[in-house]
Amino acid sequence: MRRFLIVLKYELKEYFTNKVFMGLTAVLVILGAAALFLPRFVDMSDFTGVQSAAGGEESGDEGAGGEKSLLLYVDQAGVVRAETLDGMFPGADWQEAADVDSLRAAVEAQEAEAGFVVTGAAEYEYYVYNKAMTDTNTAVFDQAMKLFYRMDYCRTHGLDLEEIASMYDVPVTVTEQILNKDSGSNYWYCYVLVIVVFMLIVYYGQMIAVSVTNEKSNRAIEVLVTSTSSNSLLFGKVIAGAIGGVFQMGLILGAILLSYQVNRQQWGGMLDMFLHIPGDVLLSFAFFGLGGYLFYAFLYGAMGALVSKTEDISKSVSGLMVVIMVVYFFSLMQLMNVDGPVIKVLSFLPISSYSTMFARVAMGSVEAWEIVVSFLILAVSIIGTGMLGAKLYRMGTLRYGNPIKIGTALKSLRGND
Amino acid sequence: MMKLEVKGIRKSFGDREVLHGIDFHVESGKALGLLGRNGAGKTTTIRILMDVFHANSGEILLDGKGFVPSKHRIGYLPEERGLYPKRTVIDQMIYLACLRGMNPREAKASAKKWLARLEVDEYETRKLETLSKGNQQKVQLAATLVSNPEIVILDEPFSGLDPVNSQILKDVVNELIKDDILVIFSSHQMSYVEEFCDDIAVINQGQVVLVGKLKEIKREYGRNRLMLSAENYALEELARKVEREWADLISVSDRKKEFLILELKEGADRRKVMAALARSDVDVERFGGYEPSLNDIFVEKVGEEE
Repeated sequence: MRRFLIVLKYELKEYFTNKVFMGLTAVLVILGAAALFLPRFVDMSDFTGVQSAAGGEESGDEGAGGEKSLLLYVDQAGVVRAETLDGMFPGADWQEAADVDSLRAAVEAQEAEAGFVVTGAAEYEYYVYNKAMTDTNTAVFDQAMKLFYRMDYCRTHGLDLEEIASMYDVPVTVTEQILNKDSGSNYWYCYVLVIVVFMLIVYYGQMIAVSVTNEKSNRAIEVLVTSTSSNSLLFGKVIAGAIGGVFQMGLILGAILLSYQVNRQQWGGMLDMFLHIPGDVLLSFAFFGLGGYLFYAFLYGAMGALVSKTEDISKSVSGLMVVIMVVYFFSLMQLMNVDGPVIKVLSFLPISSYSTMFARVAMGSVEAWEIVVSFLILAVSIIGTGMLGAKLYRMGTLRYGNPIKIGTALKSLRGND
Repeated sequence: MMKLEVKGIRKSFGDREVLHGIDFHVESGKALGLLGRNGAGKTTTIRILMDVFHANSGEILLDGKGFVPSKHRIGYLPEERGLYPKRTVIDQMIYLACLRGMNPREAKASAKKWLARLEVDEYETRKLETLSKGNQQKVQLAATLVSNPEIVILDEPFSGLDPVNSQILKDVVNELIKDDILVIFSSHQMSYVEEFCDDIAVINQGQVVLVGKLKEIKREYGRNRLMLSAENYALEELARKVEREWADLISVSDRKKEFLILELKEGADRRKVMAALARSDVDVERFGGYEPSLNDIFVEKVGEEE
């Protein structure tokens, strides 16, 4: 244990005295926090729907300076009521064009944003220069046309439109009593956190593999394995890499989550689905996410020991990467069906429980014993991969040259070469 | 007083046996020279001693008990040299000393002592990669000795050192021997082995072909051998004269640059040869008993000179 701690301390010093590592952490923390503080200093009401300086909340379509867009219409059917259009398009000024040609010319010259030629009681043509992905003008104008039709119908048949409307649009009050999980709101947290663990595993796993391989390539490994046990060396190295990764990712994620909490009102709660993560979800993420990260970190360490040049690491970890990618895609696909049989099986496998059990906890129905059993399997597997990794590390100590295939390495271990 | 015994060590890689039963022993306060050609099995033997490899059979005993390297303070300089190029010299020295059982304060003091002893203390805060190859080699040696070991195993310690640095290393090894440390070292450079080692073990193709006290081995190899050179005969002429006129007394066993090495035949002795020489016209320049160098013994035992 003492020697493990010595290795851990030495390896941690490598991370915490590395100017690039610490600098990158600081930059990302500042950038993440600064981005979430932006609405306090910059008017982002267009995006957030919240006025920054004036305070009042309004879901405005108006531009930052209150400038309205110009919309034109030609009423060939005699059904349009301009005051109704003003109410339904609060961000626009409406003008009646002299004829279709002048309307078309104004739109082509981009003097008007768009134009409507009403050709019948339930027909119209829409003119627009470039139609944006988010263009909702026709959808709103459809509603306006229907309203014109109803108003006209009621007037000609002596009916009271308001009375009919109140009958159809009777307000219904619903109070949701969610007795277990709200998948709708938890889905995006899970999605984000699965991606975070995936990035943690792939990015920092690679760093751990490089760190192990470097000891072979600089020939320090023989001095090290004759100075202490390979268990102390590999566990110290991998746990240090894991702490380094969690430190960096934790600070960045922490800064983002905290900054969002502080500025949640300024954002109008629009990022709640990603960043307003409940404590119990974060807790299950901490256990299973970090467990899965450690499980793969040891495997990355072992893969690093099978090569003697850093440029060969990609060959060595390619099989591991396939497993990680398959688990990643399966996990994301199964988020829609967290109580299905596939995710239930995956949530007990150590290669996939880091994301699937965590998703079940966050979104599905899961018994306490299932969580405990899954975590025990993961914990035992972490120790198992650590011990196996240490043996592979020891076995690969003086094997320089071509990368050792994992099958050959395991045979060597069985043969106690 | 410690005694390390290596008994019948055998080692195979796959189907190929590379060590066929290695035996030798060494005591504290003495140095054993492990000699052999490239690929003879010296480094494999040392790695088995250090538990880097496991032997297929045989045993290693320290004072009669199974030797477990991790339970002793051992300074090991491997053939494959290497430390952390991007870490400072002092950091890695302290790290290695702590791994070998020292507390941080002792480790720092010892690191500073050995860096000063090897005259590289001015580089202690520098990254290793910024040092010259020779200084890196000295730092490596300091890292070997930083835990104040009771057993020191040096695999080719002189390779890469210039004459000045070699002299520093020679002095250090002599001090270790004086301090009653058990020293094993392998080298191709026989002059260093002759200088330090009381005992040698010559390994050839995975077998010990010669083992024992160096003085006795030299005496044994010099027994019945004489050296002879003359003022008035070139070595070739002198050799022909010896073979022609004194074939019943001596034969020429080897030719050195400046003298012949003669071997006494059965029944002959040094006095009879002297008498024969006195009666001849040979104007003797050099005559006496011949003590072979370790290099001669090595070449004779393991084949052609490297």
